[in-house]
Amino acid sequence: MAGTIRAQYPTTIRAILVPCAGRVGSELIMRAIGQGADGILVVG
Amino acid sequence: MLAANRHPNITTMTMAEVIEVDGYIGNFSVKVRKNPRYVYEDICTGCGACSDVCPIYMPNYFDENLSARKCIDVAFAQAVPAVWDLQMDWCVECYACVDSCDVHCIDLSQEPEIVEFEVGTIIIATGWDIYQGDDYGYGEYDNVITQIQLERTIAPNGPTLGHLKRPSDGKRPKNILFINCVGSRNEEHPWCSNVCCLLSVKNSKLIKSEYPDSNIVVSYIDMRTAGKAYEEYYKRSREAGIMFINGKVGALKEDPETKNLIATMESIGTGSIIEFEAELVILSSASLPSAGTDEIAQILKVEKSPSGFLKEFHSRLDPIQTKIAGVYICGSCQGQKAIGATVNQARGAAQAASIPMTAGEYTIELIRAQPNDERCAKCYKCIETCPYSAISVDESGKIVVDLINCKGCGMCAAICPSLAIELRYYRDYQYNAIIDTFFEA
Repeated sequence: MAGTIRAQYPTTIRAILVPCAGRVGSELIMRAIGQGADGILVVG
Repeated sequence: MLAANRHPNITTMTMAEVIEVDGYIGNFSVKVRKNPRYVYEDICTGCGACSDVCPIYMPNYFDENLSARKCIDVAFAQAVPAVWDLQMDWCVECYACVDSCDVHCIDLSQEPEIVEFEVGTIIIATGWDIYQGDDYGYGEYDNVITQIQLERTIAPNGPTLGHLKRPSDGKRPKNILFINCVGSRNEEHPWCSNVCCLLSVKNSKLIKSEYPDSNIVVSYIDMRTAGKAYEEYYKRSREAGIMFINGKVGALKEDPETKNLIATMESIGTGSIIEFEAELVILSSASLPSAGTDEIAQILKVEKSPSGFLKEFHSRLDPIQTKIAGVYICGSCQGQKAIGATVNQARGAAQAASIPMTAGEYTIELIRAQPNDERCAKCYKCIETCPYSAISVDESGKIVVDLINCKGCGMCAAICPSLAIELRYYRDYQYNAIIDTFFEA
């Protein structure tokens, strides 16, 4: 979406490719939070 | 239909329903219940002697219940196979038909029969049903009918042999009102049924050309005549003297004596309120997914759209394939569409199904779930989670992934509490490495 409306991501956002939003489990979310992420957006 | 039935490579099963499907592309095993016809198809000669003696009349569902048929009768004149059938719900078991049959093909003790067979690919073409809510007094007022009932009325082989007659008194209606978008484009059924505008244009034009003294009004919200030559057709209808009024009918009341219907509508074009006394009202009712769509979606594990129609792999780029390899959809079970689009999609589905069957092999991607027996705690959460039913347990309790039905979504990997099932190329340690790297900087 950000790409199609020519918007820029803030530099503090990191995108991770997943085959399906279903692949994102609590393990991955907790790991990211544990590492210091402020928030996680699962987009499908 | 007849040509298809006669084709040596096509077997038709009528009065049958699919009850179970197992397997995967190239190896589907299908269980079908053949409901009893109470007439042996291979013996019946179609002489009709049984109908002559049958004392029971019942509503003729082929004529949208506008006429009567015998309890034992042929479904319609061109039915395939041209074999009589007995409707047990209405039968009084007088056995008059059994006695009248010279070839002894009627058997009232027939039971449903389960047939099993193997197929390589499956095409779903279960069609649609018409909305039959009580909008505009449908079902209560005699002279309010649907477009399908009108189609049967003006069909040459219909209940009135093609002569336009209204249900209440059998007289020819002169003032006729068509109401478009009935039960559709609202909150419950938000979709446009796609065909009704043209159906109103066609049927009003047919009536006008047969009976030029008819006074026909079509009330519409938008006139949607997208498609080759459709706009021209609409223009010709207007030139023929059919009145198209932009505005939806607000109220419809029946005159109890004449059974005429008084419609009140606003014309958006002139801004005025119009009252029109119609002798016959035809509703362009919404097209809905056919009654068995939920069951067939469950049996074949295909997805449904929010509207209830079956879901395609991609609405624009792959509207024929479903999420299950080897299962294709065509026609109105996928969405509201006209005959031309249905024929196109049906041909496409036949072609799409023939490609893997001719090739004899099917290539899958390597992105598939991989179970790890040593870590598995046998909670079997993955089996419940898998949207494609690709995970099962073997005799020893081990998790087995069906690599053809698995689509590599990774939901099993996300739900597994003991990290015992992984998705190839999207493994946990790979993601962990990505996440950790992000926060190193």
